[in-house]
Amino acid sequence: MTRLTDLAPDQAKRLAELECPDFETRPWVTGPVLSERRVAIVSSAGLVVRGADPFRGRDPDYRAIPSTVAAGDLLCSHISINFDRTGFQEDWNVVFPLDRLNELASEGTIGSVAATHYSFMGATDPIQMEPYARELAGRLKADSVDAVVLSPV
Amino acid sequence: MSALGHYLEEDGIATVAIALIRPQAENTRPPRALWVPFELGRPFGPPSDVAFQKRVLLSALGMLVEGGGPTRIIDFPDDDPRAQPDLTWKPPFVSAAVGGGDVEALAVGLRAEVLSLQDAHQRWMARHGRSTVGLSGLSIAACAQYVADWLTGKAPPSPRDGFSAPLILRFAVDDLKAYCLEAAGETGEPSSRQLGDWLWNQTATGEALHALRQLLLAHADERLRLIVANFMVPGARLRTG
Repeated sequence: MTRLTDLAPDQAKRLAELECPDFETRPWVTGPVLSERRVAIVSSAGLVVRGADPFRGRDPDYRAIPSTVAAGDLLCSHISINFDRTGFQEDWNVVFPLDRLNELASEGTIGSVAATHYSFMGATDPIQMEPYARELAGRLKADSVDAVVLSPV
Repeated sequence: MSALGHYLEEDGIATVAIALIRPQAENTRPPRALWVPFELGRPFGPPSDVAFQKRVLLSALGMLVEGGGPTRIIDFPDDDPRAQPDLTWKPPFVSAAVGGGDVEALAVGLRAEVLSLQDAHQRWMARHGRSTVGLSGLSIAACAQYVADWLTGKAPPSPRDGFSAPLILRFAVDDLKAYCLEAAGETGEPSSRQLGDWLWNQTATGEALHALRQLLLAHADERLRLIVANFMVPGARLRTG
């Protein structure tokens, strides 16, 4: 798993042929060496801090996840049930590799870890997410983030 | 995910995406994507494997300082070792009362099973230090009761302000599934398929959810029908005929 050949044929076909936005630009942002980068995670797993408002459907906005969140307080409210959740249940780093980032920062491999990370709900139409993604870019810059790891499910 | 990368990069922030579905990354053409041959839901691979996860993360981060743009997809070479079954794993129990019962019996079985899994779930919590149960905001016994009430035709109102009854039903089902799967994983290193086979084929909870889905597919509330049709039993676990 998961090469498409490992999935049920109808699911594989749907995923492979999912309509994607056709972008006209080809942005390519460069930056300093890794040891000087400040890194944030942006997930599309519908992650939410326990007690915060979960994603209810194909919501286009995002939730903030502070770097200080405890592993026991991160829940997955993604609407889809057709992906594995047992990996995330055992170890949040499978989806949200915050411990790994903190280790890389301690070792000096990356510069630092962002103060806040974010999650969208990946089943949402990307076009509807765009204004929120633009807003998020501003928040990331305000935190001096210059590298984002995008983590799907 | 690839689209988000495009938006953020247009606004000046360098991104690298993990890609689980390679054709999607090929179609969207994000600036940088690392395709990984892992199961959906596991972008960084095996749980509790620090070294493997770090290799995935470093492979992705490395793309941020490599050339090859403005669109680059590379493939991670290794499979997830935890995708293999743990042949020594045993589920916490095998329910003797699964299948064939009426809805009242299924409701009783569901509530009893949740109670019987308490110790296993406590051991899971002790082993992993976390639980992902909690979307509904209800206790797990209350989740079982709420689902049992729907199963036996009571159509209970939502117990939580600001959440519709169909939404709370969805979250209660999510919590029940998480609770059972966590309890079942309290020992060993079972694969997701082993855990799913157990939940959907060998438990009163799985049987109750199959029955609930079938029952509510005929409900008058369109939103409820939509939720039970699509967001309760995974497509690969649906029973036909």
